[in-house]
Amino acid sequence: MGIEAILIINKSGGLIYHRSFDVSKTNPTGTTSKHSLNSNDLLILASTLHSVFVISSQITPKALQLSQSNLNYTIPYHPYVGVKNPEKSPRNSIPNKYGSFKGDDYFKEPFHSWNKSGLKQLSTDQFTMYIYQTMTGLKFVAISSTVLPSHNDSETNMMNNSGININNNSSKNINALQYNLGSQIADNLLRKVYCIYSDYVMKDPFYSLEMPIKSDLFDDKVKSLIDNLL
Amino acid sequence: MIYSFWIFDKHCNCIFEREWTLGSNTNNPNALSSGTINSKQNDEIGKLLYGMIFSLNSITQKLSTSISDNQINNNIRSISTGKFRIHTMQTATGLWFILITDFKQQNYSQVLHYIYSHIYIKHVVHNFLSPYDFALNPKEQRGQGVKKINNRHFINTLEAFLQSMLN
Repeated sequence: MGIEAILIINKSGGLIYHRSFDVSKTNPTGTTSKHSLNSNDLLILASTLHSVFVISSQITPKALQLSQSNLNYTIPYHPYVGVKNPEKSPRNSIPNKYGSFKGDDYFKEPFHSWNKSGLKQLSTDQFTMYIYQTMTGLKFVAISSTVLPSHNDSETNMMNNSGININNNSSKNINALQYNLGSQIADNLLRKVYCIYSDYVMKDPFYSLEMPIKSDLFDDKVKSLIDNLL
Repeated sequence: MIYSFWIFDKHCNCIFEREWTLGSNTNNPNALSSGTINSKQNDEIGKLLYGMIFSLNSITQKLSTSISDNQINNNIRSISTGKFRIHTMQTATGLWFILITDFKQQNYSQVLHYIYSHIYIKHVVHNFLSPYDFALNPKEQRGQGVKKINNRHFINTLEAFLQSMLN
C-alpha cells in the first residue's frame, strides 16, 4: 500500500496540513505534489470532504434507520503498521526510536472508531482515500495508490450465472475481507498519525489551535511512518 | 444486502429509484417485495446523494494523474461510510447507476454493469415507446421536471435480478 498524500482537516473544514509523498522518488524532498494541485484546489478538497461528511449521514437508507442492528465499530489492532518490527530486524538492537511514550508501536489494543456515519473510504479508478475521524472532529485523510480490482476480472464469471448466489461465492468473500483489511490498516496508520499529532503538535506551546501545522518534528515523524510502511 | 438502487440521467435528475425497507428482516415473507419505487419522499435524498457523488467526483477528477492526451477518467467506484457503502457506475452517456449496500461484499461494479447492459439497454433503450430523454423539457438544466422509468418489464426484470442479492 503506497501512501501518496496525508491531509489533516480541522473541525471546521479547513485544511491544516498537507503533504504528498512522491511514490516515484523523483523528488527527494517529497514536497512537490504529484497531482499538481494548487492550494486553492486543496482547500476545496478539504471543505468538500467536510461537507460530504454531514450529508452522508442524511442519506442513511430507511432499512438501516428502521433496524436496530448494532454495527461493530471496533477496529482490530494490526501490529507494526508503519513502525519497524523489532523482532524482524534484530540488528536494530537499540530500543526503538519510533513510537511515543506509549511504547514502540504507539498503541497495542483494538480501538473504537468515532466515525460512525461519516465518510470512511472513497475508491476511484486510480486511488483509494481513507478518512479517520477523531472524537474532536479532526479528520486525517490518507490517499493510497491501491485500487479495487476492476469489474472486468469477474465479468465473464458473472455472465454465466447471471448474478445468482453472488453472496455465496466464497472467493468474493475472501476478497471482501482483504478489502476491509486495507481499511483497517489505514485506520491503524492514521491513528498513529493522530498519536504523532498529539505528541508533536498539541504539545507544541507555539502552536495555535485550528491553524496550519508548521512543525519540522511532526513532518519528520510522519515521513518516517510512511517510509516504514511496506 | 442491498438497500437501494438509483439511476440518474445526464441532467442530474433521478429517473429511477428503488428502495427496499424490510430487507433486514428475513423472517418477513413480504420482505422481498417491500419498499418503494420512485417514491416522492425520496426526492430530497436523491438530490443529496447525487450532489455528494457529483462533488466527490469533481475533486477526484482533479486528483487524477492522467496525462492529457491519454485521458483516463478517474471516476468514483465506491464510497464507504460507517454504516453503508455506495457503489457507482457512470456510463459514457452520463448516466449514473448507484447501488447502496452493506459491507458484506466489496465489489458490485459487475452487478451495475449487468443492470446497465442487460436490463436498462434491453428494456429502456431498445424500447420504442420509452422517451429518448426523460426530462420534460429538452433544454432542461436544473429541476424543471422529469419523467421516471415506469416500464414494468424493466422493474420486474430488475427485481428478479436483484432479489437473489437482497439478503
